Amino acid sequence: MGKMVFGRYYPGSSLVHDMDARAKLSIMFFYMVAVLCCANPYALGACVAFTFAFYLAARIPARVAVGAVLPLSFIVVLAMLANLLFIQQGTVYADWGFFKITEGGVYQCFFMGIRLSMLLFGACLVTLTTTTLDITDAFEAILKPFARFGVPAHELSMIMGIALRFLPQFMEELAYTRSAQLSRGARLSEGSASERVGALKALFIPLFASVFRHAETLAGAMDARCYHGGPGRGRLHPLSYSWRDAAGVVAFLLMVAAIVACNLAL
Amino acid sequence: MQLVFEEVSYAYASLTETKKPKKSRRFFGKKKEEQAAAEKPAWGNDPAEKYALHQVSLQLNEGDFLGICGHTGSGKSTLIQHMNGLLTPTEGRVLLDGRDLSNKDAQKECRGMVGVVFQYPEHQLFAQSVYDDVAFGPRNLGLSEDEIDARVRKALADVRLDFDTISPVSPFELSGGQQRRVAFAGVLAMQPRILVLDEPAAGLDPAARSSFLSLIKELHEQGLTVVMVSHSMEDLAQLCSRIIVLNQGRVFAQGTPEQVFSDAEGLKSIGLDVPAAQRVANKLRARGIALPGTLYSSAEQLSADVAKLYRELHGEDAGMDAANQIAAGKQPLAASQAATGGAGKQPLADGAGETAPGNQAESAKNNSAINSNESLA
Amino acid sequence: MIEFDGVRFTYDGQHFALDGLDLKVPKGEFLCILGSNGSGKSTLAKHINALLIPDEGTVTVDGTDTREQGLRYLIRSTAGMVFQNPDDQIVATLVENDVAFGPENLGLEPAELRARVTEGLKSVGLQGFELRETNALSGGQKQRVAIAGVLAMHPEVLIFDEASAMIDPRGRKGLIKVARALHEAGMTIIMVTHFMEEAALADRVVVMKEGRIVKCGTPAEVLTDASELRDLNLSVPFATELSLSLQNQGLSLGTHLTESELEEDLCSLFSKR
Repeated sequence: MGKMVFGRYYPGSSLVHDMDARAKLSIMFFYMVAVLCCANPYALGACVAFTFAFYLAARIPARVAVGAVLPLSFIVVLAMLANLLFIQQGTVYADWGFFKITEGGVYQCFFMGIRLSMLLFGACLVTLTTTTLDITDAFEAILKPFARFGVPAHELSMIMGIALRFLPQFMEELAYTRSAQLSRGARLSEGSASERVGALKALFIPLFASVFRHAETLAGAMDARCYHGGPGRGRLHPLSYSWRDAAGVVAFLLMVAAIVACNLAL
Repeated sequence: MQLVFEEVSYAYASLTETKKPKKSRRFFGKKKEEQAAAEKPAWGNDPAEKYALHQVSLQLNEGDFLGICGHTGSGKSTLIQHMNGLLTPTEGRVLLDGRDLSNKDAQKECRGMVGVVFQYPEHQLFAQSVYDDVAFGPRNLGLSEDEIDARVRKALADVRLDFDTISPVSPFELSGGQQRRVAFAGVLAMQPRILVLDEPAAGLDPAARSSFLSLIKELHEQGLTVVMVSHSMEDLAQLCSRIIVLNQGRVFAQGTPEQVFSDAEGLKSIGLDVPAAQRVANKLRARGIALPGTLYSSAEQLSADVAKLYRELHGEDAGMDAANQIAAGKQPLAASQAATGGAGKQPLADGAGETAPGNQAESAKNNSAINSNESLA
Repeated sequence: MIEFDGVRFTYDGQHFALDGLDLKVPKGEFLCILGSNGSGKSTLAKHINALLIPDEGTVTVDGTDTREQGLRYLIRSTAGMVFQNPDDQIVATLVENDVAFGPENLGLEPAELRARVTEGLKSVGLQGFELRETNALSGGQKQRVAIAGVLAMHPEVLIFDEASAMIDPRGRKGLIKVARALHEAGMTIIMVTHFMEEAALADRVVVMKEGRIVKCGTPAEVLTDASELRDLNLSVPFATELSLSLQNQGLSLGTHLTESELEEDLCSLFSKR
């Protein structure tokens, strides 16, 4: 069904789409570091603004962007709840004994929420604008220098690529199995803990079985198409840097500068 | 037990979200058409096709055998998922015995009344033993262990599997055909009043197929209301009391098989066919052979009428091949059917060998069905 | 060009999935392999492109023995295969990347790859699908993408391993159309199936049972033998079934493979005085 799933590619042509995948991956890595380095709301605000600008440059509709992040939003919600309930600083707004909602908690709740959302949006921008093969190729290229230390760069990137390719499919299969087991009265969202564990088994065992089934035939199909890994492969889209990558790096450096300025000045 | 759809529509995207994003953002000066191209294919769904179902009305009465056909993407799966409240309509209502299925309490009460067997149901097997898998549904209904045991035994017997040999086995060790039976038993053990099947015979070989269909037919004759999605017009014509044809989420035609398949042209326009026998009959009619207007769904039925008509037109003996006439009882077809039915070594075929000339074709069909049962096991 | 000579093969060491199989497929033939589940038909197909290697006997493709390790990729690019489940053979998220996967493995240059993607998609009627997402395609379209991916390796033989078993009738029709067009363009086609309408199109039909070939001949010879087909747990083409049923009723008709032949025969019988 037409549901949006984490890790999907949004076909299109934009500055960001046309950037080299290696550049995008490297920038994403440093972007994440930068987001984690935001020390105050102003720096975080700068992050949000820049992320928004990057999405505009990629011409990704808000609907698609939100749809891409939504499946993982539970992480954000959990982190926000944890911060809200466990951080106890400053004025107390509500008190249930063990749990207290405090001024510090509310602040941290929002701060963490936005920070994590930015991490997700950053990661999704790369997956939305880069085909999985490009991501994996870039991943491989970045890892290549480590190959001499025994890092299986090509194998890792292939595994990642296949995982990304099958992710949406497994999500669909999971939804399908869920429907089937719900029809047999499975209690996924009610009932006792043991009932729920039983219901989860009914969901995930078929999924694992399906993963193995797919893996076996996929391996055969890849063999049949002469896949042999590593050296000697051609590329439909050879990776090459262009002015867009330079522009991307400049834009990112501006963001870093803004964050540093906010962190130091306020 | 009555299931009613009242003008049911189902939209993928919720209706408030359907406003298209503004198109005039031109940040880095790309051409407009390029941008449009980038927006359109999105996830492959045309925004205009946001309705998976559109104003579908139908009524399913006790004892009906309703067939549903249409292409992939015509809304069949969405339709059947409305039947037990897995999906709830965006507009319109689904009523089971007068209770609205979008109501959570009604859903709870109706749990188990409508059993849905999804496509390739064997992919949903999960338990350590066949017994546990079949018992999953009844356990969810909160029944006593005795009742669960009785239901598992009955369900496995219903799908013609031997309880003692099969119940302790891991479902993953069974053959594909057996797995499907186990999965089917898992739904039957809920003892639904309405059984909904999504292409129950997909991917089965001819023998397993006819055996499976005869099993469904039997369950229907025992009083179960059945809904079956199928691509096979023959199966639909032979089994169903009523057929719904879906096209792009809308009801294209609805009625008895005779009514639905009388419009061969209309079906063709949406890329569907009539049963092969009816197709041949239509061509013969077009060429001046005055067959009666009945719906033909099998070769036996059509050949009987063609032969009858031929004798009426040409006299009892005219045009008959003398050798054929003499050998009438031992034609290749009859011989082969007798062979599959009678000569096979199978445990269940009580009726095998009693192939009376009159209902030869019919009983041969049953026999081969029973026989295939064995080849599955 | 493809030759099986006394091939035996076992998965488990006890039961032979192929049990002394001899078969020759000349260049340009459209061969159909029929058989019920477990008859060894898929095992046979997987021997042609060296996915499986015979335990006994030899399989040669264009004179190359499939046991030769070093030439395995040559064999696989000569004999391409389309599998049953469309979802299990698509590697990439975008159509063009998937079509390019095979040729990329052959180490071709980007310009050549681009040309082959375009050409491959064109020959399956999917021009302009380059940037579509593979996940959003229908089963029939996925199978056509898989065919394009194989064609882009410029094979001489195309093997369909029950490629139409999991797709709907409309997708199946499209697939048959593609197979026919390729055959007319000179491609050797080997189609493993249990659909009779596909078998009826072949030059030659081979029926398998328990790892052996039990019947071989033109579709008209093999598919009109209803009793044999039923014994083998295969279905009978509708026109054949109807012809035999009419003969059974005493009408003097031939045994036909296609509905149009049967209609002609019936009409001329009715118009006889």
